[in-house]
This record gives sequence, structure tokens and C-alpha cells, in this order.
Amino acid sequence: MEAFLQALAAGLLIGAVYGLMCVGLGLIFGVMRVINFAHGDFMMLGMYTAFYLFTAAGVQAMFGNTVGPFISILLAGPVLAVFGYFVHRTLISHVSGTRIASLEGEGHYAQLILTLGIALILQNGGLIVFGSVLASIRTPLSSSAWELVPFFDISIFLNKARSIDAIVSLAIMILLSLLITRTRIGKSLRAAADNPTAATYMGIDVDRAHRTAFALGCGITAIAGGLLATNYPFHPFVGLEYVIVMYAGVVLGGMGSIIGAFWGGMTIGLVQQMSTLILPTQLQNAAIFAVFLLIIFFRPQGFFGRMVERT
Amino acid sequence: MDKTAKGLSRRTVLSGAAAVGLAGVARAQAPGEIKVGLIVPLSGIYTRPGQVMKMGAEMGIEHINAQGGIKALGGAKLKLVVIDCGDTTEKAKNAAQRIVAQEPDLVAATGSYLSSFTLAVTEVTERAELPVLTLSYSDLLTDRGFKYIFQTAATASRQSELGLPTLMKLAENASGKKPKTVAMLMDNTATSVATAKALKEKLFAQEGLQLVVEEVWTPPLSDATPLIQKVRSAKPDLLLFMPNAVSDAKLGLEKISEFGLGQGKIPTVSFSITIAEPDMLQSVSPETVQGIMTIVANWGSKGHEALIAELKAKYKEPWMTQNVISTYGDMWLMKEALEKAGKADRNAVAQAFRTMDAGPSKYYPGGQLKFDEKGRRVDAGVVIVQWQSGAPVTVYPPELAQAQPFWPKKP
Repeated sequence: MEAFLQALAAGLLIGAVYGLMCVGLGLIFGVMRVINFAHGDFMMLGMYTAFYLFTAAGVQAMFGNTVGPFISILLAGPVLAVFGYFVHRTLISHVSGTRIASLEGEGHYAQLILTLGIALILQNGGLIVFGSVLASIRTPLSSSAWELVPFFDISIFLNKARSIDAIVSLAIMILLSLLITRTRIGKSLRAAADNPTAATYMGIDVDRAHRTAFALGCGITAIAGGLLATNYPFHPFVGLEYVIVMYAGVVLGGMGSIIGAFWGGMTIGLVQQMSTLILPTQLQNAAIFAVFLLIIFFRPQGFFGRMVERT
Repeated sequence: MDKTAKGLSRRTVLSGAAAVGLAGVARAQAPGEIKVGLIVPLSGIYTRPGQVMKMGAEMGIEHINAQGGIKALGGAKLKLVVIDCGDTTEKAKNAAQRIVAQEPDLVAATGSYLSSFTLAVTEVTERAELPVLTLSYSDLLTDRGFKYIFQTAATASRQSELGLPTLMKLAENASGKKPKTVAMLMDNTATSVATAKALKEKLFAQEGLQLVVEEVWTPPLSDATPLIQKVRSAKPDLLLFMPNAVSDAKLGLEKISEFGLGQGKIPTVSFSITIAEPDMLQSVSPETVQGIMTIVANWGSKGHEALIAELKAKYKEPWMTQNVISTYGDMWLMKEALEKAGKADRNAVAQAFRTMDAGPSKYYPGGQLKFDEKGRRVDAGVVIVQWQSGAPVTVYPPELAQAQPFWPKKP
């Protein structure tokens, strides 16, 4: 029982961060229909940005080791959003949006090659600039926990850093939902996603909406990466380890659905942790894909298929 | 005039050509430079250990050349050829093929950090008859009947055979009782699997230890909760924690302290150098690792003070891990073989390794500079390293120890 509750708690906490990670990718795919292979590497940049803001830019000195990490992580979001905005403007926009009419396969081949190229440049550029030494956003919270005692002889540990990560993830998720449903920007994003041609006729700048989506997606994933980095030491190739999780989460939730991407990520976190109750730990990641295949078999459109909701 | 021109056209040109050819032969016989290879990961997630091995190789070559190079070859200087073996066995194999094809005059090489990479690399170098020294642990490396691989470190199973009884004695002396139950958490890399095999098949029974938890994970871990939860439920007397990636080590150790099992509540021992890498301190606090011991094949120890100081000054490395000292030692071993062979020829060098008997070793713990028929260094020993006040120090064997070991006690 204790093991079950402990695994459930760990699954929920880590799932929330995975969920946020998937939302960033889901947003880009949902609005732009671009498969971004460099997404894991944008996350890596987010991790390093948060790391340098924390250690070199004085956030640690100003706010200490408890609050400081989260401030730098939240600041890394806008930094990466601006970076994403320029990457879209200078590179991605050439192979997406209104340009795709002139490209083979609606620009998908070009998008694939371009984003893979960006991924390679970011990884190897990262190795040159940041070096191979593992970096880590160090906080005492990552090795301490709140102890819950739901019953007499059972105690559950909630890792402090992971718990705050999960709360921040949920808060950002709520803010993003509000942005998409309640604001003009959100409206233009939804319109550009649903029907780019009609949106153009309505006077919506579709390219601009795409740029906004790309920037938002990068920013959100950067924050998710930063949150992950409070527990997880990282290196310039860390993106490769998570990009598969992100894609699985997005497909699981239903391609194009943002809420779906979040629940997809959450499911992955839960399966990863809970599977160890019945399976050997080394099959943790195999279990993710077994469940993934099972869900896709019974619900090919994912949890929140595009019929239910599109961004 | 005419006559001279005629003479030039045949004989002179021929003799000139012959002279040029001879000069070439003469150069080959007394080379000014002898190439030795370093096949290590310099891209991907294992870049860091590869870079550290390169530091050791560079220091070794610099010292050998400064001391007059290879005397048997007229003071020929060593030259390091570095090739990146990447982060997969496939890339490692390709790198080996490339270095063998591009550098036909290479006389020996060392590499390739992970046992799995070394296994792949030596499949190629064996065919090219290129002798390779390695610090990798897996028993399999020298169980394949290969003739051109020389393992300087004690094999994984040998390390556990040597290390575990010593640890048990240490525990008994310090705490007054012998541990009875043990939990083993390990990743599924070749080294850990080989170590665990020896432990389970023989050593646990021999030491009267009962295995109460055994968990294997595939690196990288995303969260260590399920692993440590099992340890928490079982409450063993001893925890063997065997990660080979710093991120896995951090997640495990922080979870141990989060669950209130750290600081010696459950004494923790490892079997790899990962847990004592300088990278660890950038990821965890010194309190989290205090007292943790690890059994490794080599470490910067007593007698290496000058080298450690040079490494610190030159490369800003806080201490000397196995990767540096072993690769440094490999360069000296190659020099020894070249002196013995008397020529810059890979087969002669391989033969020199096989027949070498150069007495006690300065840069590897225990044993001799001599290889058995499998290519394993005779009587290769182990080093036990313990984290003490923010640095891992050698605590065993006594002749190499920089500090006294302590057994973590329940606070």
C-alpha cells in the first residue's frame, strides 16, 4: 500500500512536468502542424538559460537557493520565447505557414530536415559553448521532502522540489488555457490552427500567429526543462532523452490538443512510476510504450482527438 | 654539354630516384615520431570521461617526450592520435575502422571508457593486429581469446572478489558487527552486470550476506523513487548502489537522503567511478555523499602527489580519477613496450606487451607490469575510495591510502 501510494505520488509529480513539456510541443504542432525535432534541444537551452541566470546572473545571490531556482526558471521562459520567435522568423517560416504551397509534400520534408538540422547545431554548439561537464540547478529542496502520514503506519514522501515543480506546471497550464480561450492572441491562434485560409480572409496574420505559437511553445518547454533540472543534472545532449517522451505524450493526448498533450505527459509519468510496482524497473520505459501502443490501438486519435478539441 | 645531358637522362635520374627511395626507407627505420592512439568518446553523453582520459594521455606523452622519448629508437618522440568514438557501440566500431585505415603506422592504442565501446572497438583492432590497452572492466573483454587486447584494470568480477571482503572487514572493525542483509541497485550496463554476477554467484554466500532487494534499471533514470522505496521497506544493513551515469547517481543519492536513509543510516557502497567523479559535486551537496565508498580499479593516490598537482594546475581538475591516472599509465606502458620491442611496429609492440615483466606498477594499483595469456594484468588490484569532507580519497590499500576509512554510523 505504501509502495503504491508512493509510486502514485511520484508519478503525479513527475507527470505534471512531463505534461508541461508536452504542452510546448503540442502547441507548436497544434497551431503550425510542424513536427519540431529540435524541441528537446530548445528544452536543453532553457535548462542552461535557467542555470546561468541562477548561477552567473545573480539570481542565486539575490534570492538564495530555495526561491532563486524557480525565479530563474520562470525567467528562462521569456528568454527562450524570444529565441524561438527569431528562429521561427529566420528559419522555420521559410518552410511553414503560407510558404508551404510552393514546397513538396506541403513542406513536411523541408520541415523535417530543417528541424533535425537545428537539433544537431544546438546539440553540438551546446557542447562547444557549455562544455561536457554536467550542470545542475542545485537546491536543497531536491533532497528533502514533506512527509505525509495518511494512515498510522504509512508515510509518503513528497519531494519538495518536485512538488513545487508540479504546482508551477499546473499554474502555467492554467494561465495558458486562459490565454488561449480568453484573449485576442488566443483567438488568432485558434483561428490559424483551425483553418489558416479562412483566418487569413478574416484579417488574421497567420504567419504572426505561427510565430507566437512557436515562441510560446519554446518558452513553455524551457520552463518545463528548468523545472526538471532542479532534480536532474543535464548536458547538451539531454534533449535526446526527452524528445521521445514529448512525442509520445503529444500523440497519446491527441495530436493538436493542448489539454491532451498535458494529460499525455501525465500518463507517461504515471505509467513510468507505477509500472515498477509490478514490472522490473528496467522495463520502466518499455512499459510506457506498451501502454502507448495499447491506447493508440483502442483510441487511434489519442485521449483528446482532434474531433473533440483543436487548439 | 651534350654528354652531361645524356648522362642525366638515364643513370643520374635512376640513381637519384634510388637515393630518394633509400632515404624514405632510412626514415622509416629511425622514426622521429611514433604514433599512439586514443579512442575515446569526445561527443555525446560520454564526452566528459573521454576528455578526462585525453588529459591523462596528453600529460603522459608530454612527460615521456620531455624525458627523452623512446631511447631504444634514438629518442623518438611519441605523438598522440585522438579519435572520437561517439556515444554508441556502432559509432565506436566505425571510429576504430577509421583510425585503423587512416593511421597505418599506429603502434598501439588505448580506450574506450565504457566496456561496451571497448568490446566494439577491439573487434576491429584485433583484426588489424593493433594492440589496445584498456581500463574497461568487463570480463568479457579478455574472455574472447583475443591476442591484441591488454586489460590493465582488474576485471569486474575480480574487483568484487577483492573489494567486498575488504569492505566487510572494514564494517566489522568499525561498527562491531558484520552486515547480514544487503540491497543491490544497479544499472544494466556491461560492467554492473559483470560485477553483480560475481556477487550473486559466489561472494554474497561467502560473506554470509542475504540479498533482500535486487533492482536493475536502464539508464538514464528519470526518478529513483521506486528503487529507494524498496530499500526503505526492506531496511538492509548494506546498500550496494551501482550507477554509471552521474545523473542516475544524483537521483539515487538525493532520494536516499530525502527518505531519511542517508548519512550512514544505510551504509552505501558503489562499484564504479561515477559516484566519485568531480561532476558529482556540481550536482549534489557534500553532505549527501559523505562517507559513501566505492571500489574502483585505479585512483590518484599516495605517490601521485606531483601528478595530481599538475592536473589541478593545468586542467583545473580537483582530483585524479581512474580515467586520468590509467590513461597516463597507459602511455608509460606503451613506452615500456616500445623500448622492449626496439622498433616502431605494432606486432613487435604487441609481442612486447605479451612478454613484458617490468616489476611493480607505478600507475596501476597492485600487481605487476605483466600480462597473463588472456591479456589481463597479473594480480591487478583495486582501490577503495571514500567521500570525506567533499572529496573522494583513497582509503585502501594501506600503501596507497591518503586517509583512514570510517564506517558510516547511525547518527
